[in-house]
Amino acid sequence: MEPELAVALPAAGALIGAALRPRPRVALIAGAALGVAGLAALVLAAPGLSSDQLGLRLSISAMSRALLLAGGGSLALVVAFAPARADRTALLTWGLAGLAGMAAIAAAPTLDLVILVTLGVALLHAALAGGRSLSARLRAPALAVALLGVGLVLARLEGPPVLARFAAVGLVAGLAAALGLLPYIHEFDPDEPTSASPIAWIAFLGPVIAVAVVMRARELIPTAAAAFGAMLVGLGLLNMLWGSLASWLTEKGTSAWHYSFMADWGLVLCAFGVQVADGQAAAVLVLYGILLSRLPLYLWSRQSLRERVQTDRPINLLAAALLAGSAPFAGFAARVLLLRGASQLYWPLALVIAAGLLLWLPPSLRLGRSLGLPRGRQAIGAGIAIAASVAMGLYPQPILTLAGL
Amino acid sequence: MDTAAAIGAWLGAAVIVLADGRRGLAVGIGLVALGFAGLAWTEGSWVGTAFLVVGGAAAVIELLRARPHDWGFMPPGSTARLILAVVGGIISLWIAASVTTGPGAPLRFASLAVMALMSGRLLQSQSATAVLTAAAGLAIALAGASAIAPSGSDYAPYLLGAAIAAGALLLPVSESRGA
Repeated sequence: MEPELAVALPAAGALIGAALRPRPRVALIAGAALGVAGLAALVLAAPGLSSDQLGLRLSISAMSRALLLAGGGSLALVVAFAPARADRTALLTWGLAGLAGMAAIAAAPTLDLVILVTLGVALLHAALAGGRSLSARLRAPALAVALLGVGLVLARLEGPPVLARFAAVGLVAGLAAALGLLPYIHEFDPDEPTSASPIAWIAFLGPVIAVAVVMRARELIPTAAAAFGAMLVGLGLLNMLWGSLASWLTEKGTSAWHYSFMADWGLVLCAFGVQVADGQAAAVLVLYGILLSRLPLYLWSRQSLRERVQTDRPINLLAAALLAGSAPFAGFAARVLLLRGASQLYWPLALVIAAGLLLWLPPSLRLGRSLGLPRGRQAIGAGIAIAASVAMGLYPQPILTLAGL
Repeated sequence: MDTAAAIGAWLGAAVIVLADGRRGLAVGIGLVALGFAGLAWTEGSWVGTAFLVVGGAAAVIELLRARPHDWGFMPPGSTARLILAVVGGIISLWIAASVTTGPGAPLRFASLAVMALMSGRLLQSQSATAVLTAAAGLAIALAGASAIAPSGSDYAPYLLGAAIAAGALLLPVSESRGA
């Protein structure tokens, strides 16, 4: 019953939050209560064990469960320590809707259903009023769905072995389009509300979609697993390079944050592509870093980005170190694991990744400054995000155990 | 019957690619839904057939309910779209009938052709109605393609695909706020 509850309770929270919008305090309390109940159902869910209450065998893998819990934590952090002028009810409502979609993607028994749920989420997300036109908002996620669909069909067809390789191309291209990575970068409007912007895909929905697609793809096309891994590594390196350089050199601060997410995703794709245990552990830690550190810090920096405030206080230096993945933060542990995994596979790859990691430093200093000087609730939130990252960096084992690694 | 249904689905997708007006798009999505419903019927899934017919009918009604009632079929400058519709069909037919083996060639052809043409429409169009219709067509194609799975398909993909097709065109079309 837990997978059904993990989907239904956040969805109910989002619906109640939307219905009670005129009474924000009540909406916030009701939404938060249902969201917490949904997370409790997730905690109680036994990983991999299927439930068949709706005539559908739903089950949530350990890795997906770990990322869903991180998504819930990220939402709690963002809503509880939102800037004073932010609409916390809207943040919670759309966050819970996203969480319900993520739980549905994680619990779906087949890749067909994963893709269809992703299309449903894409349509709902595109319906949010934002700065871009509906066609621009829907184009990339719907293209992702089409590419994943073609990849899935090719994976299931009988024919020459090359079909499995084409299936791998479709699945990797679809994943890149869903996340908004090179070569399918989502059109980005810096002034758009975060819930309606591509950040929702790259930083919130993305981790669970990636795990669902990568894990199922490995089962679907075992004969093309090496090609699939190689494509992930290649695309990962490309996004590391492009994301970090663009984050450093772009003029707009908000776009710099957007590109920095791409760079982190480059690491995740490399880690998934490496296909050894250390690689998977590195991917989980980077995804935790995106959900629990980079996304909240981005949201808290939006106010100072609008006011063009840049500060060089110790908190900015700490945030920069966290974003750059230096010790003792979670990113450092992830990078060490990734390099160890890559050197097990093919040592020149580890050399290339190690050189690429240096590119994180200049943009991270810039992003750290753009946080401004957090005050009040935001200062507490930034403190929690930094402390959580230190804890994950010093002792990542509980998270890795939660993810079944 | 399955060959006719597959050709009908491809024709519907081609009409969605070539039409800009609501009537043209309604005919297209209707043909796609009927084509995949026919394919589900030949696969022995009457539940899937029913879901796809209902989902497709809801999308058609939603398109015809709102104004303007125009066809917008092959407006000037549609040559590239016409080429896409024809070439997409030919390549899908080649893959389904020649490259791949085993039974179910019509379903393979229809799935690949509709997904490819809907991707093209999504990338090319700036109109919200056309993009939402393409997304609805994509949902129906994905639901229909679930029958290619070695273990067959249960009702869930059909139900979800039909719900998305029916719901896509109900979404409020809130366009840009001037970015």
